[in-house]
Amino acid sequence: MMIKLLAVIERDLKKFRRNPIVLAMSILMPIIYLVILGNSFQGKLTDLPVALVNQDTGPFAKRLVENLMAIQAGPRTFRLVDLTDQQKAVNGVRAGLYKAALIIPEDFSKRMTVAGRPDLGLFLDNTDSISADNIRSLILAAAASLGVDYVPIREVTNQPLLRDINLYPKVDYYQSLVPGVVIMAIFLGTLTTGAFNLVMDRFLGIDESYLLTPLTKADIVSGLIISGLGITLMNAGLVFAVSLLITGIPISRGLLNFVPLFIIVALTTLCLLSLMFAILGRIKHPRIVGVLSGFLNVILFFPSGSVYPIASFPGWLKGFAAINPEAYAVDALKSVLFKGAGMTGVMGDLMFLVLFTAVMMTLSILTFKRTL
Amino acid sequence: MQNDKAITVSQITKKFGAVTAVDGIDFEVPRGEFFGFLGPNGAGKTTLIRMLTTILKPTSGQAIVSGFDVAKDPGEVRKHIGVVPQASTSDLDLTGRENMDLYGRFYGIKAAERRERIKNLLDTVGLAQRADDLVATYSGGMRRRLEIARVLVHSPALLFLDEPTIGLDPQSRRVVWDFLRKLTEKASMTIFLTTHYMDEAESLCGRVAIIDTGKIIALGSPAELKANIPGNDIITLAVGKAAPQDVAGAVEKLPFVHKIKPEEGGEIRVYVDNGPKDLPALIDAARAVGGEITSASVHEQSLEDVFIHYTGKSIREEEAKKVSFFIGAGLPQRLGR
Repeated sequence: MMIKLLAVIERDLKKFRRNPIVLAMSILMPIIYLVILGNSFQGKLTDLPVALVNQDTGPFAKRLVENLMAIQAGPRTFRLVDLTDQQKAVNGVRAGLYKAALIIPEDFSKRMTVAGRPDLGLFLDNTDSISADNIRSLILAAAASLGVDYVPIREVTNQPLLRDINLYPKVDYYQSLVPGVVIMAIFLGTLTTGAFNLVMDRFLGIDESYLLTPLTKADIVSGLIISGLGITLMNAGLVFAVSLLITGIPISRGLLNFVPLFIIVALTTLCLLSLMFAILGRIKHPRIVGVLSGFLNVILFFPSGSVYPIASFPGWLKGFAAINPEAYAVDALKSVLFKGAGMTGVMGDLMFLVLFTAVMMTLSILTFKRTL
Repeated sequence: MQNDKAITVSQITKKFGAVTAVDGIDFEVPRGEFFGFLGPNGAGKTTLIRMLTTILKPTSGQAIVSGFDVAKDPGEVRKHIGVVPQASTSDLDLTGRENMDLYGRFYGIKAAERRERIKNLLDTVGLAQRADDLVATYSGGMRRRLEIARVLVHSPALLFLDEPTIGLDPQSRRVVWDFLRKLTEKASMTIFLTTHYMDEAESLCGRVAIIDTGKIIALGSPAELKANIPGNDIITLAVGKAAPQDVAGAVEKLPFVHKIKPEEGGEIRVYVDNGPKDLPALIDAARAVGGEITSASVHEQSLEDVFIHYTGKSIREEEAKKVSFFIGAGLPQRLGR
């Protein structure tokens, strides 16, 4: 019994070892994802070109321009381009030369002092809503202080003051991606081991020779799951360690929580391996795996809460997240890594993963055929 | 379960949708026999072998292999048989020795015994030198030899070979033939082989079943099968000097001559029992009436003629490969009838 199971495991490990590119890719890729994801969502906007047409020579226009120059010098969100022709500025926005055009009309200062609403014209390229919102709020802030003649020295006492108290050590966005990246490494590992071996053997036609031996269904399924678990754990462990180093999460925090982290990672791996078995159990062509992999990665990873909080999802997507194993895995990893939760804190997540694994495993044993 | 039959098949049938690949076949193979299934591509040979070796479920009918029912006790059947499938099934990422070792372990053979047996088998098939190279570097003939050696690691008493020499060069085919012959002679193994090569069936098999469109159309030893069809061997004589009809008249009286057919250009075709043996007597008879034989050719009746006799078509007609439109990429659908 054991001798057969071990043979299945050893075959898989040997074949994996002889394909070092797969190993290198499955470790490198999630780390590159981390770097790219970390820099493509959280980055600050800088140097957005904004056309400025100042037709007013009064003091308030001068102060407004000074305020805008301060932003240009400080956070550098936008870069002002002085123009005299209003039409030229608007056309520039249309042509994509500027993200916005700010028009200060000639009666601006007059309206500020005398009664009457002072107007500012802002033409926005609203196809890039994130940039447009940023520019809008900054210009609004720059204009808001114009009418205020003094800054109050004392706080207004009758207004409630909100004091922020952070419960946990500060986590920046980059670090908050680490659980997601580890889950991604697990996903890639489980996709290219376990059931994928069945698909490859079927495609190459060598499954026939294995089916002809006394290997049982249990030998084949459990052997492939065990070797897939081993390979994926190794990958995920390396990705985990490198991610901690890159993002500056103290390694000690990883080591201190080694046991819960290991259990979460191992359980997630089993969970995804059994999911793959259920999905790929009867697939005969690797191209189908290729098509499925991109799809599965997107539908499991993005609603997992690793990039953006689940609370922001619409109802139907929240419903999907509720049955998405990656969401539970990310939650568990975040709890342990950032909140220092122990085993008891993540018991709910672990229970779900166990249940999910059991269901998928049953499904895969039912669908796996011992015949051609 | 002691039984003098290695294989007993009754009314076995396999349908793939509307297509009946194997259509109610009956036969028995006694232990120790070298039994062949001869038929064109698509006749149902591979489907039959897959049912007998438990990896395809029969639609109906029964097969007892090595004393066990393939449908009810597939696990037991697998333990007692060895199968070389038609397609190359060696693991390319592993070495020849590793391929064999894994197989030994799948059958639960102990390490020391495995090592010894694998070494001997690799020697026998002439792969000892390349045993530790990856199979990816082997030629087609070497892979086939490895697969035949691999299937013997657990010393099965019954061996199934599906088109074992397909795609091999003539020299590699000889090597495989000699090796298989030795197995039945020395190890008294029962061998069940399918082939679409006439010469292979004729030179290896004790008995041959001819299969076409899922049915057995003839069964017997190659000699019996040939004897059963009318006509027998054909000797074509070119006659000089004397008139061909005189020669024909003289030859016709010989006891082993069945029929005479004059051909154009003074040639006559003589249908005899045994071409090579009867030729000298035929020439003597022609000379006795003053005829001179300027040339003679002998066409021995083969299983090909048997096949043509029963089916009215040549066995060499190839069927177009089936392609799955769902999977695409020109992948042959591996139903392999």
